[in-house]
Amino acid sequence: MSTRRDLLTALIALAAAPGLGVVAAPFSDLDRDAVRRIGQAWRDSHPGATSRTLSARLFPTGRGPEALPALRAAVAADFRAGRLFVHRGWRLSDTEGALFALLAMEA
Amino acid sequence: MAIIDARTLPDASPLEADMVIIGGGLAGITLARELAGGPLKVIVLESGGLEIEPETQALYAGSCVQKADGAKDRPLDSYPAQSRIRALGGSGHVWGGKCGPLDPADFAERPWIPYSGWPVTRAQMQDYYDRACDLLEIDRFPLEWPTPTDQALQPLALDDEDGFFPAPRVFTRISGRTDKPAFDRFRTQFAEAPNITVYLYANVIRIRREGDVVTGLDVACLDGKRHTAKAARYVLATGGIENVRLLLASENLGNRHDLVGRFFQGHLTYSNDSDTQREGSTFAASRAAPLDLYATAQRFEPHCVIGAGLPAQKRMKTGNFTATLFRANFSNADATVGADTQTLAKTATKLDQGQEQSNLLGFFAMTEHFPNPDSRITLDPSQRDALGMPRVRLTWVHGRKDHEDLERSIDGLANALGASGEGRLCWSLRRDELLAVSSASRHHMGTTRMHRDPRQGVVDSNGRLHEARNLYVAGSSVFPTSGIVNPTLTILALTLRLADHLKSEKKAA
Ligand SMILES: Cc1cc2nc3c(=O)[nH]c(=O)nc-3n(C[C@H](O)[C@H](O)[C@H](O)COP(=O)(O)OP(=O)(O)OC[C@H]3O[C@@H](n4cnc5c(N)ncnc54)[C@H](O)[C@@H]3O)c2cc1C
Repeated sequence: MSTRRDLLTALIALAAAPGLGVVAAPFSDLDRDAVRRIGQAWRDSHPGATSRTLSARLFPTGRGPEALPALRAAVAADFRAGRLFVHRGWRLSDTEGALFALLAMEA
Repeated sequence: MAIIDARTLPDASPLEADMVIIGGGLAGITLARELAGGPLKVIVLESGGLEIEPETQALYAGSCVQKADGAKDRPLDSYPAQSRIRALGGSGHVWGGKCGPLDPADFAERPWIPYSGWPVTRAQMQDYYDRACDLLEIDRFPLEWPTPTDQALQPLALDDEDGFFPAPRVFTRISGRTDKPAFDRFRTQFAEAPNITVYLYANVIRIRREGDVVTGLDVACLDGKRHTAKAARYVLATGGIENVRLLLASENLGNRHDLVGRFFQGHLTYSNDSDTQREGSTFAASRAAPLDLYATAQRFEPHCVIGAGLPAQKRMKTGNFTATLFRANFSNADATVGADTQTLAKTATKLDQGQEQSNLLGFFAMTEHFPNPDSRITLDPSQRDALGMPRVRLTWVHGRKDHEDLERSIDGLANALGASGEGRLCWSLRRDELLAVSSASRHHMGTTRMHRDPRQGVVDSNGRLHEARNLYVAGSSVFPTSGIVNPTLTILALTLRLADHLKSEKKAA
C-alpha cells in the first residue's frame, strides 16, 4: 500500500528518470489509427478544443522533463475528482482523453 | 457408533438421543465431529445416502426466478435442485473448496445498508475461523494479513485512503471434487465415535412442537417407511434453502414475525467479453511485472482479490465488493477494439510508471447482495415432492440499490487504480444487461437471519430459534448479511461456535 506522499516521491523520481526529457517522445510509438479514434471520441464531447488550447492545458510550461510528472499529477487529480473520459468502457482521466486528442491533431 | 440405512429399520422406529442434527452436510458434520467422543448421545439424520442419487436429489426440485430493477425476469427453475447436493457430505461433494473469512466490515453495522450488522464481530470470530481452517486443512487467516516479501507477489500500491485491500482466498482439498478419499474421511470417520449414529435416507419432513419446545421429528424414507426422532435439543442444518422449507412446512415454525425465508441473499458474478463495439471486463495494470498475487498461473492456487474495506464502503456508500483478476488471452472480433485497448493501456503505463510494457488481465466483479425482505423463499403447496413436502419457490431479487452499488464500486476502484498510477479498468456493461450476464453462485444466505431482537431475526446470536428454546439453526441461512466471500468457511466457524455453546449449555444444565 502506498500513501499520497509515496506517490509524490515516485513522481519526483520519474521526473528525474533519463529518456523522458521530451514528452512527445514517449507517445510517438502509439498506433496512429487508435490514437485518432480515441482522440476523436474525446473531441466529440469537446468540440471547441484546438491544438493550442490543448497544448496550453497539457503542457503549460513546455514539453520538457517536468511535463510528464505534471501530466501524471493531472491524471491523478482527474481520477480523484471523477473527471472521467469513458471510451469503449475504459475509465480514463479527462487529461488522457485530451492528450489523445492533441496527439491525434499533431499526428 | 455407526452409519445406518434408515430403510433397514423396522417401520415406525423411535430414534432417541440427547441431540439430533438434521442434515449431514458440511455444517451438520462439523457439529457432529465436535461432539464426537463426548458425553452427549448424538443422532445425525441425513436425507441422502453416501453418494449422489437422482431420486433423493429430486427432492430438492423447486422453482426460481431472478428479478432485478429494470431488467427482464430471469427464470432459473433448475437452480434449487442444481445448486446443492443431497447426500452425506451435502454440497461438499461438488464444492470448489474456495475459502476466505468474511471481512471485519461484513460484521459491522453500516448505517447506509439497511439490516446490516451481526451480533458478533470479526475479532470475536477469529478463534472459530482458526479452528475451521484447521478442519479444512488450510492455512489460517490472521486478522492482519502479512504483506508477502516475494517481488511477484507485491500487492497493488493503492492509496490507503481509498480503502481497497488484497483479500486472500485459498482452496481446501476437503471436497468430493478435489480429494475424494480425504472428503470421505471427513464425512464418515466421526461416526466411529461411540456416541454418534448417522441415519442415511432419513428425511425429516416435519418438526413437531408444543409451545416453545420442539418435541420430536417426523422422519420419512423414500421406500415408504416412517420413523420418529426425539431429543432434548435439535440442530437444523439442511442448507440455506431447505432450512426454510422445513420450518415453513412445520406449521410456520419460527415465523411469528414473518421473517423465515425472507432476505435471501446469493452472490452474483458479473463480467463480459468484448464485442465489436466495446472491450470486455479488463484490467490494464500499469506495472510490467506479473501480478501473481492476484492472477495465479493455475486455477485453485491461493490468491488475493481486490476487496473494498470499510473505509472504501463508507466513502462510496456501498457494500462489500471484490474484483477477481485472472490471466486471459485478449482477441477481439473487431481489430479496432483490441488496438484501442492496447493503445490506452500503453499510454496509461507510460503516464503512470514511465514504462513501456503494460499487463492486461480479465476480471470479474462481485458485490454484496443487500438484505431485502422481498428476496425470499416461499412454499408452493400445489407442488409437492415424493414425500409430500411442498416445493420451494425462490424469488431472488436484486434491487436498484444493488446495481447502483456495483456501478459505484466499479467507478471507485477505477478511480483508485488511476489515481495511484496502478492501472485502468474497463467496464462496459449497461444496467439493463447486468442480470442477463451475471452468473449465480450456489451460496444461499440470510433466510433465517441472526439477530438479538426476535422482531428482526429468526435465530438469536447463538443460533437458537427465538421461537423454540431447544432448536438451533446452523448454516448460511443465519447470516444477516452476505459479505462477498464464499460462505462455507464462515458456516464452519459459526458451527464451531455453536458447538461450544451447546457444550457449555449442557455443562450449565
Ligand atoms: C457446485 C458448487 C460449488 C461451490 N463452491 C463453493 C466454494 O468454492 N466455496 C464455498 O464456500 N462454498 C461453495 N459452495 C457452497 C457450499 O457447498 C455450501 O455453502 C455448503 O456446502 C453448505 O453446507 P451446509 O451443510 O450448510 O448445507 P448442504 O451442503 O446443503 O447440506 C445439507 C444437508 O442436509 C441434508 N438434508 C436436506 N434436507 C434434509 C431433510 N429434510 N432431512 C434430512 N436431511 C436433509 C442434505 O442431504 C445435505 O446433506 C458451492 C456449492 C456448489 C453446489
